[in-house]
Amino acid sequence: MRARLAFAWMLAVVACGGGQTRPNLFSTDWSDDGGQSIEAVRVQMGGARVPIGADVAIGVTGNLDTIVGLPLGGGARWKFGPHRLEARPLVASDVVIGCGGGELFALDAATGKRLWATPTGTLALHGAGDDGSVTVVTMSSVTGTGATLLAVARDGSVLRRIETDKDLGTPAVLARTAFVPWGNQYVTALDLASGAEVGRILLRERTSRAWTTGGGLYFGEVGLFRLDEHIKDSAKNQASHLALPTRELPGSPRLMAPGDERLAPTSSAPDKIRLYARPSRPNGPFTFDDDRFYATYFKLVMGFTTDKGSLAWVHTHSSDVIAGAAANGGVVICDAEGKVSVLAAKTGGLVAEFDFGEPLKSCVVQVDGFTPTGVAQDSGPFAKQLERALENGDLELATAQRLLLRELATLADEEATKTLIDIASDPRTSPALLGDARAELAGRRNGARFMLEALGRHYDFLKDVLRGPPVGPLAQALGAMNEKGAAPLLASHLLDPADTDDDVMRAAAALVLLGSSAEVPAMRQFFAMYRDAPDDPAEIPEAVVSVGQTLLRLDGSAGRATVESALAHPFANSMAKAKLRAIVAAADAEKTVQTGPAKR
Amino acid sequence: MQRSTGRCVRLVALVAIGLLAIGRGWAGARGFLREAAANPPPSLTATPGLIPFAKGSLAKLKSSDAAEIKVGLDDARLSAKAALPAVPVIIDLLQNGLPFSLVESAIDALGDIESEQASATLSFYARHRSVVIRRSAVKALVRTKGTLAVKVLRTALSDEDGMVRGVAAIGLGTLHAKDALGDLFLALDHRVNEAAVSIGELCGSNECDSLEGRLGRVPFDVITSGLDPLLFRPPVEVSDDAKVKLIGRLRELGTAEANKFLRDTEARWPKSGSERVKRALQQGIQATAGGARSGGS
Repeated sequence: MRARLAFAWMLAVVACGGGQTRPNLFSTDWSDDGGQSIEAVRVQMGGARVPIGADVAIGVTGNLDTIVGLPLGGGARWKFGPHRLEARPLVASDVVIGCGGGELFALDAATGKRLWATPTGTLALHGAGDDGSVTVVTMSSVTGTGATLLAVARDGSVLRRIETDKDLGTPAVLARTAFVPWGNQYVTALDLASGAEVGRILLRERTSRAWTTGGGLYFGEVGLFRLDEHIKDSAKNQASHLALPTRELPGSPRLMAPGDERLAPTSSAPDKIRLYARPSRPNGPFTFDDDRFYATYFKLVMGFTTDKGSLAWVHTHSSDVIAGAAANGGVVICDAEGKVSVLAAKTGGLVAEFDFGEPLKSCVVQVDGFTPTGVAQDSGPFAKQLERALENGDLELATAQRLLLRELATLADEEATKTLIDIASDPRTSPALLGDARAELAGRRNGARFMLEALGRHYDFLKDVLRGPPVGPLAQALGAMNEKGAAPLLASHLLDPADTDDDVMRAAAALVLLGSSAEVPAMRQFFAMYRDAPDDPAEIPEAVVSVGQTLLRLDGSAGRATVESALAHPFANSMAKAKLRAIVAAADAEKTVQTGPAKR
Repeated sequence: MQRSTGRCVRLVALVAIGLLAIGRGWAGARGFLREAAANPPPSLTATPGLIPFAKGSLAKLKSSDAAEIKVGLDDARLSAKAALPAVPVIIDLLQNGLPFSLVESAIDALGDIESEQASATLSFYARHRSVVIRRSAVKALVRTKGTLAVKVLRTALSDEDGMVRGVAAIGLGTLHAKDALGDLFLALDHRVNEAAVSIGELCGSNECDSLEGRLGRVPFDVITSGLDPLLFRPPVEVSDDAKVKLIGRLRELGTAEANKFLRDTEARWPKSGSERVKRALQQGIQATAGGARSGGS
């Protein structure tokens, strides 16, 4: 009975003016008017004030049937449900829009009070805008093509219903004019009173979203366009435009999801790999607030400068970040455990924390007037922040950690060297990160004291040292730094069976430069044990060559005898013999050159 | 008799380590240990006749031909202690370098000759990159003995290879390295299960209590591999009181595996052994029979 009534009501709405479909709306049969129509709309709206939206985090909990609201500017946590949810709720201005169980409904974002509901059948919500008095939503049909736009007043009356075969993006509303992106390049200004298109914007970058924030009206998806005096020149690519700097980021995060994409009630990987940024102000230079944009990657939150895209800080969170929003002075993040944290824009230090009190299936954050107050916690030196992020053993983070490792390697301070050593010595480090850490370590030219300290360690099962230090890269770095103090430590690693073949080879090569007579006994032992080594692995015969070369230099006639004995030995590795023979010949030739003039 | 049984257990334990290496795992090795301890093979208790080491064999060791050297090393192994004159030659070979395949044979030969003078050279090879060579060297050191051998075996408890650790743990018991008890407990707590056997052979009153205290924390078959030699040690080393107390703890477990262990022990109990301990074993078997019937563990 109720369903029949609802259907009858829908028919009445359609018949009584709520649903006129204008044939020219969203038509591609449109001549560019050089921006005249949209400029007229802009001028006509003139002083229309863009309302400041609620500062709120919305979570979906339970069996995907409960919406929980957490006002960030004060006010009690609220709960709505159970109510079936077929799409993730949206927040626009000061309302929360939900969809499920055959109806669209709106809640007061501050209290969770149900404002209105209207039947929508099987239509699925994907976009919403609100100007404080009218809510405009875009929904997609079950067939996946075309869209329906509804304009609903605060009392629940449907002011306008438009059905189209075009895919509509996420709309914005201002002064009873809806701005509806569509076709990935147009924004139609729709007079909600008449249902007529009163202006159109043609943008030269993929655009599927319109929204208001900080008192301004914006369009975009990849970048941002502002509704200002330059919007009339948008077709000539001269609208006010803002884009994030291009830089490598883990997981190819997006600033905004396409405005026609319906988001499921549960969060997924794209929600955890996101970018957040906020335009500074509706007038004046078009920049990003705080000279920052933010990237999330599961548990990691990174702050970047907007000029060059340099990494300014990194915050390692306790659980996956599933939603967020850039605020004036910081970034607000919402995690899977139900915590909402505010991080300072400049340092990434924690400024405030709110708690839903339960884990979330998904989350939506809207901040508009919100500005973090209070003193941010000290997030420590940048190298320490990177160290925390890199030492997290979560395998999901590996891609981001590789990027952060490269960032770490650009730091000139010794602490960065220490962190690289720690990562390369940690048995929990993933193979990919281990390879990167070793490569970066080999290129370091500072932090010798940390390198020597690390070389003092060896694999020790009973002491739970289950990965030895990165001997090879340390040997290479210390050799380049001509750090003679490394020689005894490197010699001890020649005889450590737990070290890799590569480590042994590079330790032996460094001893050619750094070795002294004190290391001769260890090198003699190594030479005897491995001069007959098989060809595979090739690193060991190579190490034999280096050790033989060092013995020739340091061990006088005994060293020469040791090497010559190997050259005459039938079992000695043939490659090592060939190389040693060449070294001996070169040394003899050099000696002849040196002693020649003296003889004369 | 008790002393010889303990020695036999150690020898057999070394063989069991070999079983671990060929994939029978700890349970298989433990089973072997128990069976072998119950029925020691004659060759392990009888003194084998020595095959003289010929001068020709010594000459082969000095050859530059790998096959000849191999024959010389095999001869040395056969002659065992009678090949003592070959030790300096084999040491020389190892100190100057040999192909890895001959290194293993040379180390095995030194192990069979059992001369302590080889321990220093073997200690180098206990740190060789080839795990096969390390295993051979550690095994050989158990037989060449000496202070250095004990030191190297203690270090080998920290080796990357589980087999090397196991051989070292057993070897420390064989060499009566009481000073290594701390390391052996650390090894046992790091799941070097072979350490239990040596602890059982070496422990004093406090250490034996500490081993017993691990009942319930360490797998039963591991802990009993240490309790077994402990029960068979002479009363001057482990008192009857301590043994009865230990049997009491096993009895309290009341499990089928405790019953089986007590039965196995009682079956092997020497005729000249303590009657009091034997009675305790019998009472323990009776008390845990219920667990055995229900199959509880």
